[in-house]
Amino acid sequence: MTRQRSVKQWFKNLALARKLILVNVLLIVVPLGVIGAWSFSIFASKMEEQVGKYQLQMLKQVTLNIDTYMNELNRLSLMPYQYQEILDFLATSRKPGEALSLQEIDDLNNFVSKVFLNGRVDIMGISLFGEHGASYVVLPESQYMTTYQLGGNTEWLEKAKGRFGQPTFITTHEVKSTSGTVYQVFSIARELRSFDSGETLGYIVIDIDPAAVRKLLSQVSLGSKESLYMTDSAGDLVLRKEKTAIYPVIEGLSEEGVSHHKVDGKSLLVAHVGSEVTGWTTVGVVPVSELMKDSLVVRNSIILIGGICIGLAVLLSVFIAFRITSPLRMLRSLMRKVERGDLKVSFPVQQWDEVGQLGNAFNMMVSHLSELGYRLYETEIREKDAEIAALQSKINPHFLYNTLGSISMYAEVEGNREVVTMTNNLSRLLRYSLSGRKEIVTLRDELDHVQGYMTIQKMRYDDRIDFRLEVDESLYSCPVIPLMIQPIVENAINHGLDKGIGEGRIQLSCYQEQGMLMVVIEDDGIGMTSEQLGHMRERLDKIHDLGGTSGNGLMNVHRRIRLHYGEQYGLQLESMPFQGLKVILVMPIAYSMTA
Amino acid sequence: MRGLSFRSFLTSGLIIIIGASLALTGCSQPNNREEVSAEPKAPAVQLNYWTPFSGGDNLFMTEMVDQFNQEHEDIQVVQMNSRLDDYYSRLRTAILSGNAPDVAVIHASSLPQFVQNGYIEDLSGPAKDAGLDWNVYNKAGMKAVSFQGKPYAVPMDTHMLVMYYNKTFLEQAGVLNAQGKPVLQGGEAGFTHFLQQIKQAVPGDVAPLAQPSTRIDAVWLWWSLYNQIQGGGKFYNADGTQTALNNPAALKALNYVEGLYKARLIPPNIPDAFKLFNEGKAAVLITGVWATGALEKNDALSFGVVPLPTIYDKPAAWADSHTLAIPSQHDMPKEKRDAAMIFMKWLGEHGAKWAEAGHIPSVSAVMDTEAFKSLDYRSDYAAAANSVAFWPKHTKQHSFVEDIIRQFERMIYGQQTPEQALQATEKQINLDLSK
Repeated sequence: MTRQRSVKQWFKNLALARKLILVNVLLIVVPLGVIGAWSFSIFASKMEEQVGKYQLQMLKQVTLNIDTYMNELNRLSLMPYQYQEILDFLATSRKPGEALSLQEIDDLNNFVSKVFLNGRVDIMGISLFGEHGASYVVLPESQYMTTYQLGGNTEWLEKAKGRFGQPTFITTHEVKSTSGTVYQVFSIARELRSFDSGETLGYIVIDIDPAAVRKLLSQVSLGSKESLYMTDSAGDLVLRKEKTAIYPVIEGLSEEGVSHHKVDGKSLLVAHVGSEVTGWTTVGVVPVSELMKDSLVVRNSIILIGGICIGLAVLLSVFIAFRITSPLRMLRSLMRKVERGDLKVSFPVQQWDEVGQLGNAFNMMVSHLSELGYRLYETEIREKDAEIAALQSKINPHFLYNTLGSISMYAEVEGNREVVTMTNNLSRLLRYSLSGRKEIVTLRDELDHVQGYMTIQKMRYDDRIDFRLEVDESLYSCPVIPLMIQPIVENAINHGLDKGIGEGRIQLSCYQEQGMLMVVIEDDGIGMTSEQLGHMRERLDKIHDLGGTSGNGLMNVHRRIRLHYGEQYGLQLESMPFQGLKVILVMPIAYSMTA
Repeated sequence: MRGLSFRSFLTSGLIIIIGASLALTGCSQPNNREEVSAEPKAPAVQLNYWTPFSGGDNLFMTEMVDQFNQEHEDIQVVQMNSRLDDYYSRLRTAILSGNAPDVAVIHASSLPQFVQNGYIEDLSGPAKDAGLDWNVYNKAGMKAVSFQGKPYAVPMDTHMLVMYYNKTFLEQAGVLNAQGKPVLQGGEAGFTHFLQQIKQAVPGDVAPLAQPSTRIDAVWLWWSLYNQIQGGGKFYNADGTQTALNNPAALKALNYVEGLYKARLIPPNIPDAFKLFNEGKAAVLITGVWATGALEKNDALSFGVVPLPTIYDKPAAWADSHTLAIPSQHDMPKEKRDAAMIFMKWLGEHGAKWAEAGHIPSVSAVMDTEAFKSLDYRSDYAAAANSVAFWPKHTKQHSFVEDIIRQFERMIYGQQTPEQALQATEKQINLDLSK
């Protein structure tokens, strides 16, 4: 249960493309596999059935051929009935070893020659046995013999007896010629009877070269690893086709038919046909695996073609799945960007399906978002402008300037030069700070402003401040942002001089380095500890925030430079404890703006 | 990350397909190999080869045919052996019915009946094509196969009547010398005495001399002895119109042969003399050299062999020759005739193997080979090949010999005297000749 649920969950959590691929593959592989396996199994069973029928037919044919051959022999064994002298000879009563007369030899030779000549070439021997001791035996490669005695123990004799003159076929056995060569023969034996007395006269046995029948068997081929043989009614082997495999004898076959047998783990297809003439059974055995060799080719081609088709289909489904889901994946990555605040994204809508509509909606959403953000920003700026305007209107700079001008005049009348200087400078400072509102000023303006400021401060600190200015004159016209140097200088006085005792030195130098404007403000105050310095530098690096506020003048200037010129510019600090602080403003040189 | 997985999907899919197709081609490869191995070969030329061997020599011929078939992939010789008794009857029928074999063994004595009417082919042309050199064969053999100067068959051997003897019995009778040869005086009396000595020494059921009471063997012996007599051996008169058999020399020889039967030196009613000797029931056997190979196989038998004893004026022994002929067929393809010539030539060259059966090879050079020299017994009778008595060349010789056999059988069975037998033979042959 839990496993099922976990599989379900696993599937649910699977990426969309993978889900699609999995489903597609299942839809392709399962039906194709089922159809392939089913059709192959039907094909195989039909084929086996056909092969079985075919084999039975073949065996019937070969059995028929052998029967025809045997019938010929059968007729041949009837020949003694046409030769009265032979029947007379068989009827004679003889002592063992009693010689034949010349006439008898002549008659017998004549008869045997007739059988040899009229019969098939494969006759190897003819034997005539009388019930009462007469015998005439011709074996292969031998002269006739008349001394053979009918022994009571010969198997074939028992078989041949009492069959009402019907022939009996004797399975393959060996005969030895006088020269010692052993021959394999099989024989037909027939009981010969007298018509007058009805008594048994004797027997005729015709020996045949089994090669002749084997040749008939060899005309049939059931397939490789076949086994083709004939057994007699007792199940003993009569003969076997040469060069065939040998399987254990299969028992209990009757009439004809095709059957399956399992022998030593091998499945064998056994076809058998019984013969009415000989009473023998022709058996053909072929391992099913051999028969199915052809069907293996079919199976392999089904698997090959099926495999290729499935492979291509899977590839195609993979392709389609990724193709369908790729816009979704793109949308997701775009959304992540928006999450991080990047609103300058757009989804390329190429189709007008659900995905396209989704992308379009996304685009609409992003554009709305950025519009909203812009509006918010604008509103803030306006609010600040309004605040400043309100402040300005409250102070009314003209009133201030005029007042300061009056103070300056009264002081001049009174002869107080210091007040005049201070007042005039203060007036200029205020005018620069409050009324300017220019975006860009020249370096000269800035330096003038710093000098005015320093004039006042010097007077405040009773000339304890040694202010030095070194400027590369070519830089005067360089455009800079306003109120940039004065807060640093003020910071230097506040933190460097105020806390110290005695004279303080402030060095302001402007020069050009590697195409950049460097403004360096050095003091010889208490400076910073390395910890403080590290802390400050860290803060400088971290300032990204546009709308952040900071009371620190250094930070303010740094932020403005960065905002105006870019991240690579800004403030750099160098300091040693009790040896002062060195602030370097790094800005780009842009002559062209005033030129 | 996502794009990468798409690519990995693609590659894994490709790998599966390639792997599957590789595995499948791997599966189907054994089939391919089988097809390649079953490449069709040009069918071998099949030669039907008929032989009349029934004396134990067929075994050797079968071995030679097997060897030939193994050495020649493009020729397949199918041997069919029949009993000699029926062989010529069968061969004549086959030739007359157009079912002749491609190569047939024909005895030199039977050649004339097949040369007549062109029943077998003149081999001078085919031999030239096949590069068969007639000079390698011995003179007697070539003489037997040549008709009007043209060879009609390839001689395969010479086989003649020789005398086998059981050393054990001869030793018992004291007629075996230190070299293991029979001790034998000349003349009729000498041979009779030799057999009588044996008869007295051996058990009653052992034949002093084994000769069948029917069939041709007695005729061979008579013909050999008749040829041993100075001025004997005539079969026909000068112009060939009548037989010259009924003469004192022939009668002398026949009387002697009949005397051996009468004196029971040759026991009566022997159907198979070879079998008797082979089973140790005979002391002496006069038969053809073909018995040597079969007798050698019998370890229980200690036997020797010598040329037929010279009882009269000069050595002579009945002889014949197995020859190889191509029976005429309606339209025999050239490749078949070429194959037949190759086979016939090969048999001659491998005469040493055929000599194992007992025969004297027809190719003179074979007599000098180690393979032949290493055979026992053959050298004991090889010299006899110089004094052989072939049947005269006559188209009806075969049936005349049959006539003689019939009359001699009656004589052996005591139904007529030698004089009567010769007279009856003469009468029958002259009747046939006048037809």
